[in-house]
Amino acid sequence: MLWTEKYSPKNFDEVLGNVKLKDEILNWTEDWLLGKTSQCILLIGPPGTGKTTMAHLAAKEFSEYIELNASDKRSYDILKNTIGETSLSKSLYGDGLKLIILDEVDGIHGNEDRGGTRAINQIVKEGKHPIIMMANDPYSKRLQSLKPKCNTLIMRKVHTNSIVALLKKICVKEGVEFEEHVVRNLAKRSNGDLRTAINDLEVIARGRDKITSEDLELLSSKDDIVNIFDTVRTVLKSKDPKRIRAAMRVDSEPSFILEIITENIPKEYEKVNEIQSAYEKISQADLYLGRAFNTRVYTYWKYAFELMGLGVALSKAETYKKFSRLTNSSIFPKLSKSRGKRNLEDKVAEKMGQKLHASKKVVKEQFPYMKIMFQNDETAHELATYFDLADDEVKLFRSRKIKVKKSKKKPTKAKKTTTSTKKLSNETKVETSKKVDVEDKLSSNKKSSSQKVKTEDKPVKKSSKDTENEKDSEKTSKDSQMSLFNFNK
Amino acid sequence: MNAPWVEKYRPQTLDEVVGQEHTILRLKRYVKEGNMPNLMFTGPAGVGKTTTAIALAKEMLGEYWRQNFLELNASDARGIDTVRNDIKSFCRLKAVGSPFRIIFLDEVDNMTKDAQHALRREMEMYTKTSSFILSCNYSSKIIDPIQSRCAIFRFVPVKGHQIIKRLEYIAEAEGLKIDMAAIESIVYFAEGDMRRAVNILQASSSAGEEITEESVDEVVSKAKPKDVKKIVNKALDGDFIGARELLRDVMVVQGTSGEDMVTQIYQEVSKMALDGSLNEDIYINLVESIGETDYRIREGSNPRIQLEALLTKFLINSKAD
Repeated sequence: MLWTEKYSPKNFDEVLGNVKLKDEILNWTEDWLLGKTSQCILLIGPPGTGKTTMAHLAAKEFSEYIELNASDKRSYDILKNTIGETSLSKSLYGDGLKLIILDEVDGIHGNEDRGGTRAINQIVKEGKHPIIMMANDPYSKRLQSLKPKCNTLIMRKVHTNSIVALLKKICVKEGVEFEEHVVRNLAKRSNGDLRTAINDLEVIARGRDKITSEDLELLSSKDDIVNIFDTVRTVLKSKDPKRIRAAMRVDSEPSFILEIITENIPKEYEKVNEIQSAYEKISQADLYLGRAFNTRVYTYWKYAFELMGLGVALSKAETYKKFSRLTNSSIFPKLSKSRGKRNLEDKVAEKMGQKLHASKKVVKEQFPYMKIMFQNDETAHELATYFDLADDEVKLFRSRKIKVKKSKKKPTKAKKTTTSTKKLSNETKVETSKKVDVEDKLSSNKKSSSQKVKTEDKPVKKSSKDTENEKDSEKTSKDSQMSLFNFNK
Repeated sequence: MNAPWVEKYRPQTLDEVVGQEHTILRLKRYVKEGNMPNLMFTGPAGVGKTTTAIALAKEMLGEYWRQNFLELNASDARGIDTVRNDIKSFCRLKAVGSPFRIIFLDEVDNMTKDAQHALRREMEMYTKTSSFILSCNYSSKIIDPIQSRCAIFRFVPVKGHQIIKRLEYIAEAEGLKIDMAAIESIVYFAEGDMRRAVNILQASSSAGEEITEESVDEVVSKAKPKDVKKIVNKALDGDFIGARELLRDVMVVQGTSGEDMVTQIYQEVSKMALDGSLNEDIYINLVESIGETDYRIREGSNPRIQLEALLTKFLINSKAD
């Protein structure tokens, strides 16, 4: 016999938690037995809180009961035939009442159990028999019409301390030695689900005389995985295909799982060839995700999952005996930090793309050149006007504001000069640029103290140095490439 | 109000288009006949696909070309529904003032296969009133039924002497002072991409009065993604996590594309092989890895993941050294 059955409460006194609710059901049962009809009961609560236990305890008081749950087909007709008759006709044996238990009423399937909710509604309305219904999700749409007709009782999760106490009692009765923290851990991880707690205990304690914290680890792999980091830990720590496949059944986007596994590979694996081999599997998994996306053939996902799970897991020679802190990918804070900038880039790229007959992607590839062009006041003004860019959009290309007043006059000058000879245009350009310099200084002097001028000067000097360095390295790269090319020839 | 030079000096007629002589010749024949099939332009960036499409539309549709020409960007339009609605409402009306209507759909290879199948239906539905011009970088990414409904034109990188000619033309029109070495330098960096060539020219001209080889170099190095050298060196020194963080910064914060990154990494590595700081055997292994990464970036879903995987190859080589 399973321990959940063996140690299930034999009477209402033994039921843990939900004291008020217990009394209510007891009173309700007594009312019926005394011949008073009473509203049917709808028990709502998470799994393992004792809904079914309560219903069965109540059933003991009645002479007969009938039970339907999610595994039964509950179409309109079936419900009508089995329950409808029962509820209309009194039991053949004595005057006993028939209790009707309907489990998982929120799980009635819309299509397969066609009309199920309607049938229940009818029976609840006309029924002369006591009915107890159970459901998990208080917000389920299927309960909307039922709730007003029932006495709805909400079951709370069982308190950890109550679970600990029960687990200890079971251990004593089964003759299993235990450490306090192991039992407490079992209780905690059950998250108020008594059934899970007892099941877990049975898995590690049955047929043994002692349980330790090592046994807990065995449990984690068997457990349903709720957390992405449990998945990643299993992938990095285990080499057991079964455990890893189970761990990969986490409810997340594949690209997200891939990201978190990838992030933690170099944090757990130390040998270079392991990191390399694991990353090769990640790369292949990404290929399949790409193919799935491009072709909309999502059956490719299964290869991606196997590669990023088992593939990464088998890349290590041996499991590391260490504890490494798993972390979220550094990519997410980077993404959120740069979101504003990227949104602005998108907006500007779209605007410019319409004039340039190009997609956002192609326009963005031209941004670096735009940045250089925008350093020139005159060009900056022209381009900003042409693309109709607002001040905040211009900031994408240059930090300083464009001096509108002065540069507004210049284009007309410039246009005239371009029609004249080359030399002339060059001379005027020199003049205008000198003017700009003078005006710059004047305006900055007017606007602020000399300190500001200094701070403005500094970055300029720096950048010119930087560019010199870059220039040098660039030159050598170009030269070297050219010579490589020649060499090949 | 002046347009950027890429727009200001965009060829307006088929005759003006630089390079692609065979294509232009055949397209002019369509103009002469006053009729054209559905067309597909395929080729790398900046070789004149869009320019040719617009020029062709102008010559084909005549005076009222604007009313009868629809330009759509497949990669920017949100989903196939937008594309279909735009195409539908445009094609439903009969061409006025022109023999038919032309829909130019850019970057079709960025459409999903589903969307492409939907597009194929649209193409069939409106054959009587409209012609399609599709453009893409890789025709292999276009479903067969669409390819078989189009006359395919392959655009090739613009040849060096043709770029030189065009740059000289622009330089004269703008009254620039530029020497041959500078122009040749631009041509070298442009790699057959006319748009890049013109952008480098304008950026160089905005930086100083005179355009020299040095100023061109400066512009190009400024326009490059930063820190690639640092990333490569960190990985070679065995600091994988450090290299990875830097790569993520460059790609996410600076917004560098995967294609650009892989090209830069290649250039960096080949430079190191030449100045002797990288062993030849290691170098050739890395080239193989970089090439494979380049390919996987196009096939995969996340370029950054592929580049991170590439960085692990640098680790192994540093150990073997």
